[in-house]
Amino acid sequence: MTRRTHTALAAAIAAALTLGLGACGSTGTGGGEDQGRQGVTTEGDGIIGGTPVRGGTLNILSNVDFDQLDPARNWTMPVMDVGVRMLYRTLTTFKAAPGAEGLKIEPDLATDLGTPSDGARTWTFHLKDGLKYEDGTPIVADDIKYNVERSFSPELPGGPDYARVYLNAPAGYQGPLNGERLGKEAIEVPDEKTIVFHLKRPVAEFGYTVTLPTFAPVPRAKETGVNYSNHPVSSGPYRIESYDRGKRMVLVRNTYWDEKTDPVRKAYPDRIVVDQTLKGTGVADRLIADQGDDRDAVSYIDLVPAKISDVLTAPAVKKRLVSENAGCTTKLDMNTTKAPFDNAQVRLAMQYAVDKEAFADTMGGPAFTDVATTYLPPALTGGTAVDHFRIPPAGDQAKAKALLTEAGFGSGFSTELLTSTGGRQQAEAIQAALKKLGINVTITTVDPTAVASIVGDKDKQPGLSIGGWCPDYPSAATFLPMIFDGRTIKDKGNQGDITRFDDPGVNAELDRIATLTDLTQADRAWLALDAKIMDKSPAVPLVWQKKPLLVGSNIAGAFAHPVWSGQLDYAVIGLKSVK
Amino acid sequence: MTGFLLRRLLGIAGTLLVICALTFAVFYLLPSDPAAQFCGKDCSADRIVMVRQQMGLDDPLIVQFGRYVLGIFAGQTLGSGQYAVHCGFPCFGYSFQSGQPVWDLMLDRLPASASLALGAAVLWLLLGLSAGLLSALRRNTWVDRTVMVATIGIAALPVYFTAMLLLYVVVTVLGLMPYPRYIAFGEDPVGWIRNLILPWITLALTFAAIYARMTRNSVIETMAEPYVRTARAKGLRERRVVGRHGLRPALTPVATMLGMDLGGLLAGALITESLFSLPGVGKLFADSLNKADQPVIMGITLLASFFIVTSNLVVDLVYAWIDPRARLT
Repeated sequence: MTRRTHTALAAAIAAALTLGLGACGSTGTGGGEDQGRQGVTTEGDGIIGGTPVRGGTLNILSNVDFDQLDPARNWTMPVMDVGVRMLYRTLTTFKAAPGAEGLKIEPDLATDLGTPSDGARTWTFHLKDGLKYEDGTPIVADDIKYNVERSFSPELPGGPDYARVYLNAPAGYQGPLNGERLGKEAIEVPDEKTIVFHLKRPVAEFGYTVTLPTFAPVPRAKETGVNYSNHPVSSGPYRIESYDRGKRMVLVRNTYWDEKTDPVRKAYPDRIVVDQTLKGTGVADRLIADQGDDRDAVSYIDLVPAKISDVLTAPAVKKRLVSENAGCTTKLDMNTTKAPFDNAQVRLAMQYAVDKEAFADTMGGPAFTDVATTYLPPALTGGTAVDHFRIPPAGDQAKAKALLTEAGFGSGFSTELLTSTGGRQQAEAIQAALKKLGINVTITTVDPTAVASIVGDKDKQPGLSIGGWCPDYPSAATFLPMIFDGRTIKDKGNQGDITRFDDPGVNAELDRIATLTDLTQADRAWLALDAKIMDKSPAVPLVWQKKPLLVGSNIAGAFAHPVWSGQLDYAVIGLKSVK
Repeated sequence: MTGFLLRRLLGIAGTLLVICALTFAVFYLLPSDPAAQFCGKDCSADRIVMVRQQMGLDDPLIVQFGRYVLGIFAGQTLGSGQYAVHCGFPCFGYSFQSGQPVWDLMLDRLPASASLALGAAVLWLLLGLSAGLLSALRRNTWVDRTVMVATIGIAALPVYFTAMLLLYVVVTVLGLMPYPRYIAFGEDPVGWIRNLILPWITLALTFAAIYARMTRNSVIETMAEPYVRTARAKGLRERRVVGRHGLRPALTPVATMLGMDLGGLLAGALITESLFSLPGVGKLFADSLNKADQPVIMGITLLASFFIVTSNLVVDLVYAWIDPRARLT
């Protein structure tokens, strides 16, 4: 691997893609010809309230418990934001800034962004001095190794699988809870401040991988197994004072956190109170009314569609709305093993047939969504949306008809569309658009918890389904291989490559890009591959959802972070003034 | 009496066992796979197998069911090795989501549900009984007609409509009180009442309307009984005739209804709790459904069934006290 400077490494994914936009020859700005659909975004410079003051209590209003705060199990947005920004630190982390700047990484527990060797198969990190847990005990390299090992435990499921995929660990390793530790062939800890990861293959962006909570420290002496989620030991600026799951969590300062060792987190509030008992409309009503302690409050959950007009029509309230692209692509997946979607021409016709505007309108319109024009969300294409086909957002029925006729389906066909019970309206928008081309879509709705297992079962999977994917960090390596690598397809329990798209050329290219050690070159290659897959059309990109979040009038430093799916960055949020 | 109680308790146990078996079967038949869900994104087939094994979902249904029922009495252990945790009787398993014992989760949420149910019951009994009695005693007058028309109107209002209307008028427009949040009685009794008033009114209005109509009909029926005529003929004052001979026996169907309603509500008023952000059993149930947290859903289903069948027993016992004609045999 070519040794790059840290700056180049950090900037590569965020900035170099802009240079590479010409590579696929089909790029442009998002929205195509429909500039009128520019959605609602955060006003001003994207940061609400300026720089916060130190002190006070920040209230976070929510209707839901955190899935898992155990760093080995924390793999849902925006819970990762809560964990990584407030409770635990990782080897590297993302800058606290909106837009492309927030896609860059900084050393966190580590002194630098990691030193690759052996062609990026080995990565070495050194810990900073003066790092401590909430009880004052020092953080040592073995604690990070221990948490990485925990991510292998079947008792602790649900967390990021990058350690399992990348590390040179023995097959069948089941984690450290029964006393079995990983050997030197996977992770070495030569001293208390050095950790060396040995990977199965070159991973040029491993400096980004270690931003994941898997690479946060867990002190072995404080292990509580499945209950660790209820009180993870803090290495970050706050510690848990109380956590009544599904009701309320109170965070107070971790007095052993030393801000001199932390270039990212500012930890302005003295205390953070998370109320998880509310209802979506209740959160919106309270923040719109902006009374009493609610002036010091932020919403953890998206603004409910029913309240969006109340916000947009009141300028004083609209000023308090943070609304940025969440970085996830919602797509219409076509089962490429099932007729007629085994025909690439039919799939291409679907790109033109779907009315994405109508689909977006069922999800709250431009305030809540941007029309998606390719698979990779803008956060993975240098912050600018790529428009591969330049199809009008409402579709191009004539072109779709022509393509269908060429494919021998000019008179249409019948198929099934499966979605969750809450997704009927969206499914109907697709059904209505396809009806115009003689495509009869039968909609089946099932409980949200059942969608994945039906869609993932070859025998039960219908022709169409609505799905989505979010990157784990700003790299197409956490996106395209996850959803279009045909070698990961399973008859049952198929999760990533839902379309069952298995193209040898694409698979080979995925492997080739994985070996590239020059990130700029890799980014260009990802863009070209994204275009190539769009041409084969296993799925229709539908929308990039936004995350509309309302904050109180006394909130400062509030902005949507591109890595945390548009959630507020809890590293630097605080109050304008303290009583 | 002892024989009656024994028979009923056995019946309760049998009913709960059947409900438990049915709920278990329903989960087994559902296409969702908790192991795949908890395994995370893009989980490999091997790992799903390991997670399924860890969650105890790889055994045949009958084995899982037997383990569950036995575990209620003998306890269950979650995890293995030195980090394993054990819950004792009554053990309804552990939440897939939080790893906490289901019984602890339910106990934790019960005060909010009980506060809502009992407070609302007091209110709806006061409103319903007085309106029903008034209507019955002023039968076929304008008072009766007004009360009955009003009860039809109120009974037709869905809970979510009443809740949203109250929140909008009382909180948003008039600003008479802050947005309700649950405060434990022990923490601040005044705050407890203040924050529960709106949920109580919401829940009580619907029930009060039904109770008013039932009380009216029951009192009218009872007041036409020969013994009431006898009481009047003996020269008893009308207040005593109504209170002692009319209202008391008329309350038996009301007591039956109250037992059933309270039994159901103690295990959570799902909509009202969600609308007013009350951290009760109903809200826990809704959250667990969203997360497919099967052990919690199972536990709450059994708890609700327990409350309903037990309240039936209590109602039968109260019957005998209210109406001496009823005998426990």
